[in-house]
Amino acid sequence: MSRVGRALRPALVPILAIITAFIVGSIFILITDFENLSQLGTDPGAAIGGAVNTVINAYGAMVVGALGDPAKYQAALADPTPRALAAALRPITETLVAATPLIFTGLAVAISFRSGAFNIGVEGQFVLGAFGAATAAIALKGAPMPVIILVATLFGVITGGLWGFIPGFLKARTGASEVITTIMLNYVAAQVVLFGLRSDFLRQENSDQPISKVLSDFVRIPLLIDLPAMRLHWGFIVALIMAVVVSWFLFRTTKGFELRAAGFNMTAARYAGMNASFSIILAMTLSGALAGLGGSMEVLGTVPQMSNDISPGYGFTAIALALLAGNRPFGIVLAALLFGALRNGGGLMGVKTGIPVDLLTFVQALVIIFVAAPGLIRAIWRVDRKKAPETPSTPAAPAKPDAPTPEGSAA
Amino acid sequence: MTAADATFTEHAIHEDSSAARAARRSARIRGVIFAVLGLFALQLAISTMDTPAKFSFWIDKQGGTAFPIQTTVGILWILTGVVTGATGIWQLYRGASFKWRRMLAVIIPLWVVATLAALLEGKTANLTGVLQGTLALATPITLGAFAGILSERSGLLNIAIEGKFLIGACVAAIAASVVRIMLGPNADPFMLSVAAFIGVVAAAISGILVALLLAWLGIRWKVDQIIAGVVIGIGALGITNFLFLRVLSKNTQLNTPPTIEAVKLPILGDIPVIGPILFNQTPYVYFTLIVMVFFTFMLFRTRWGLRLRASGEKPSAAGTVGIDVIRIRYRAMILAGILAGIAGSSLSLASAGSFQMNMSAGRGFIALAAVIFGAWNPVYAFGAALVFGFSDSAQALLSILGVDVPPQLLNSVPYLVTIIVVAGVVGRVRGPAAAGQPYDQG
Amino acid sequence: MRLELKDITKTFPGVLANDRISISADRGEVLGLLGENGAGKSTLMNILSGLYRPDSGEILIDGSPRVFSDPRQAIDAGIGMVHQHFQLVPVFDVVEAVALGAESTSGIFGTFDRSTARQRVVELSTKYNLNVNPDAKIEDLPVGVRQRVEILKALYRQSDILVLDEPSAVLTPFETEELFGIIRGLAEAGTTVIFITHKLNEVLEVADKITVLRRGRVAGTADPKTATREQLANLMVGRDVELRVPKGPANPGDVVLQIRNLHVRDDRGHMAVQDVNLEIRSGEIVALAGVQGNGQTELVEAIVGLRQVDSGEINLDAHSIKHVSPRHIADEGVAHIPEDRNRDGLINYMTVAENFILDSYHREPYSHGIRLDRTAINEHAAQAVKDYDVRTPGIDTYAGSLSGGNQQKVIVAREFSRPLKLVIAAQPTRGLDVGSIEYIHRRIVEQRDQGAAILIVSTELDEVLAVGDRIAVMQGGQVVGVVEGEEATYEKVGMLMGGVH
Repeated sequence: MSRVGRALRPALVPILAIITAFIVGSIFILITDFENLSQLGTDPGAAIGGAVNTVINAYGAMVVGALGDPAKYQAALADPTPRALAAALRPITETLVAATPLIFTGLAVAISFRSGAFNIGVEGQFVLGAFGAATAAIALKGAPMPVIILVATLFGVITGGLWGFIPGFLKARTGASEVITTIMLNYVAAQVVLFGLRSDFLRQENSDQPISKVLSDFVRIPLLIDLPAMRLHWGFIVALIMAVVVSWFLFRTTKGFELRAAGFNMTAARYAGMNASFSIILAMTLSGALAGLGGSMEVLGTVPQMSNDISPGYGFTAIALALLAGNRPFGIVLAALLFGALRNGGGLMGVKTGIPVDLLTFVQALVIIFVAAPGLIRAIWRVDRKKAPETPSTPAAPAKPDAPTPEGSAA
Repeated sequence: MTAADATFTEHAIHEDSSAARAARRSARIRGVIFAVLGLFALQLAISTMDTPAKFSFWIDKQGGTAFPIQTTVGILWILTGVVTGATGIWQLYRGASFKWRRMLAVIIPLWVVATLAALLEGKTANLTGVLQGTLALATPITLGAFAGILSERSGLLNIAIEGKFLIGACVAAIAASVVRIMLGPNADPFMLSVAAFIGVVAAAISGILVALLLAWLGIRWKVDQIIAGVVIGIGALGITNFLFLRVLSKNTQLNTPPTIEAVKLPILGDIPVIGPILFNQTPYVYFTLIVMVFFTFMLFRTRWGLRLRASGEKPSAAGTVGIDVIRIRYRAMILAGILAGIAGSSLSLASAGSFQMNMSAGRGFIALAAVIFGAWNPVYAFGAALVFGFSDSAQALLSILGVDVPPQLLNSVPYLVTIIVVAGVVGRVRGPAAAGQPYDQG
Repeated sequence: MRLELKDITKTFPGVLANDRISISADRGEVLGLLGENGAGKSTLMNILSGLYRPDSGEILIDGSPRVFSDPRQAIDAGIGMVHQHFQLVPVFDVVEAVALGAESTSGIFGTFDRSTARQRVVELSTKYNLNVNPDAKIEDLPVGVRQRVEILKALYRQSDILVLDEPSAVLTPFETEELFGIIRGLAEAGTTVIFITHKLNEVLEVADKITVLRRGRVAGTADPKTATREQLANLMVGRDVELRVPKGPANPGDVVLQIRNLHVRDDRGHMAVQDVNLEIRSGEIVALAGVQGNGQTELVEAIVGLRQVDSGEINLDAHSIKHVSPRHIADEGVAHIPEDRNRDGLINYMTVAENFILDSYHREPYSHGIRLDRTAINEHAAQAVKDYDVRTPGIDTYAGSLSGGNQQKVIVAREFSRPLKLVIAAQPTRGLDVGSIEYIHRRIVEQRDQGAAILIVSTELDEVLAVGDRIAVMQGGQVVGVVEGEEATYEKVGMLMGGVH
């Protein structure tokens, strides 16, 4: 195998998984293309051709929507006015905006998976983090902006972290399955947010929707590129820094070492003198805190105000990212950029061809399936079926924690 | 006591398993909680002895003749307090062997009624609608819980119930609508109910397909069952939203199914008070009750149930005596898929009258909550679903009567209860030991 | 019925598990199938019970060839298996657990006919003197009774051929004796019994005929009336088993580990260690002999801080380590080689380098504060690989991909890489090849000669006799005797292990 081939080898399954998922997605576009398929009886050639065209147009629009229009890039190069530059750069910066919450949540899921815990609750931790940050920001209204940003972010991190701590603590102390508790806490988080957004303190005046007062009137994370209609802000840089920090934490610190050891083999970690219960609690808390940080960045930088639908399922997409990236922080950044591009490009696809963005949710689900079943993807593409054992990308000991450690001996 | 007695006692304690000790500890905690709650209720009675508590029921039909019951809030609290307190004392006395779960069937309704009366502050509440609604709302949750119990008892985790609900709801709406279109505009009511029934069957088939996908991923490709369940949840949401926006919203005739209405049972439906509540329901409710009885019998009394439970508890024990564990699991998943699909169809055909985006709204996870709260037992799970259904149903009543209880609080009840139960504070429930673990058959 | 296996061959990817194996047993005969771990016994039995299909070869019952493509067919042919790991559903009661798979039913829905099943269980239990309460829950039963339930399961299916796979591994000597009584009774009643074990004494005691397996082949057969232990051992291992550990006389110094009146419970709350007293001095090796499951595991876990002490004292250098965390105990100079390498000793999905520092990552030079020092870690790993002759493609290889012997070397290297007062080695050579066994023993003796106190726990008498300066025997949770190394004989220690004292 060539050197390039060898370097690409670990990425083979993820890449094939994505391609396969899009092919399946296009089948759904095809069979729901009633306008064209209705001619199937009269002119089958045109019908099928038309339907295939819809697929090509849809995916084409998605690429343009995600990366930008070459014509607009040319125009901006020829005449670099702020307006033209903004028009050229907006799609790609929007892709980065869309990737930002995904990086945070993807890292959050990866940390928990690394520790052997299934944090399905990143969604709730993200939402509650955003809620905490929004609440703090509204409470601090009138204070200097940097103070609001810092304190609100801290608040968001704490609320998210708390929402991760609860299932971690319950798992370590009582053995309660974190899968169940985090699923349930997602719903509780949604109810907390709804409850909060109905209070006069947070609720936007003259609105009966569950949305908060407009935060962007008085607090906004600074933009990265100061051009009209740009939304890309420093939260993206924070996300990249977090990827570095998480990578450093997992692979270069003693706590990260403990966390990984406990994740792969709880008993061996205990035999080596580590406090495995603590590792679980730490991982779940950090996981929640990262998600909360992501929520804070979203509500303070990207969207104008807190609302009950601030997350279109970031916490679940994050599970796909973590699987796709094998829980590697830098892989998660790449995967988040890809998924961000899909989500952002999906918008233009919706506008241009009327195909709902929700198709991409379905495609994501397919990607997870294919990545989680590498044997399936190899069977479909008939690529190297025999393979050395690889690192498990999901927790080694899911849902069945060891009996609580003898506490007396740890005193 | 002689020295020999003392050693014997000590020996007995030594031979005690840690599980039994934990069970006794949580029994004590439970007893104390019940006793304290009982005292609390009695204390509440003191200040409310004079507040009237007025309830009424419709004797014959909704909006017909009212059957009033009047007492005072204080008396309700005394009743609640005495029963709860007595249960607590009984629990402390009997220890771990006490079947406390059964007492909940009395205690929870008492608390609910007393709290309701206290909140109403003398206003009259007609409960027929609430109770009828409780049963109706509990139905899809119960069926979903049965689906969960079936698959988990066979050894497969099932957190994809939500996804099956959504797909079932969507498929039922489309299939029933298509049949209705084929029947033309002048179809008689009987043919329309046939159309609705075809919708239900289609939903059941969709449930089977999703269940088979889940089982196939878990069994054949060893995809982690939690991942597979989450994925099917996400995928179902994505694909049904996609279909709704791309197809149904533009072609509304495809989303106008004939609805499934309440059917008043002859004779039973005429029983005063009870008739309107229990026997004037949609066929889903009757179906669910029949399934509950039959399923409980099958699970605990038959060879099928014995083998199913063995597959979920220790599959290798079943495999080594020649039982085909894989086949048992596939079959259980298919049955679970049918039940979850039918439950999904009830959302679009009975409740809403059409398919809406994300219309299951977490009910699949409430069903999972009912599985856990019901300790993987169909009857208990039905009880749990009733509690959850009531917290849903009472909201409407309270808001009509202008009582200010945040609906979010009531909505959170199932989730919070589940967390408390899995944390094992009041008594550990133990799920099937092998649920979620892949099984390799030779 | 007469059972005959002819030229059975079975290969797994890269392994020839069974190579033209032929065995036979007549009606009412007890065939002892003797072999080391990995000799191919389990594969052969899985073929016989229909779990695996042989690549070639024949199974003959009363002379007629049979093909089993699933366990059901094997059961229908009259073969009953008693698996080494009990195959009983813990939450079922005895009747349900026994009847599972062979339930009598009634009605159109297949109602389980419990009373008929219960009656048969009671009958069989009485007839063969098994003494099992039909209504007890499996999870509440002691292992000895569970095994009798397994036998009941086979009898319930009217098995004429009973296969017992390492049945004594978890039994006390008393329970083993009981089991032998049951086996003889069954054989007299006409059942053909195949008794699989790696214990020489047991085949000699119970078998009518012995077949020895080695590396997937039949190494020979023997008659228990005339065969000697040495002959059988020779056949089993392929050379004189005489383990010789090159060591000089011990030079005991001060007491390092002192255990007094120790009581420890097992996971199920039973008192697994009862009133144990033991002293180990620096510069001596104490070998703790005993049948598996007699409290050794719990004793070791209590010493290294992994299990709570119920009562009694554990002192290291005259101060108590009873409520000290595993980490602090390790930091005081206690090494622990756990009994289950893969479960307790290594993290298979971490690299060799990481496994070398599993218990010392938090110390200089491997970390400074919370920061790990990759350079120091890698240097240490490279050195340890060289010093301990670990055969690995590199220090970044996953530990799980090494051979058992090399995995154990990684653990030993890790544990011996710091100054030690006390070494606790539980089953340090289980399942290893002879070369690795000698290497590990040499290293342990080296530690002794440098002044550490050593406790070796082993179920293998050969190892105990070869390596121990003193030998303590544990039985039923108690230390039932301590024998000086030079006075120890096979018979003496064996009798103590068997509960004769």
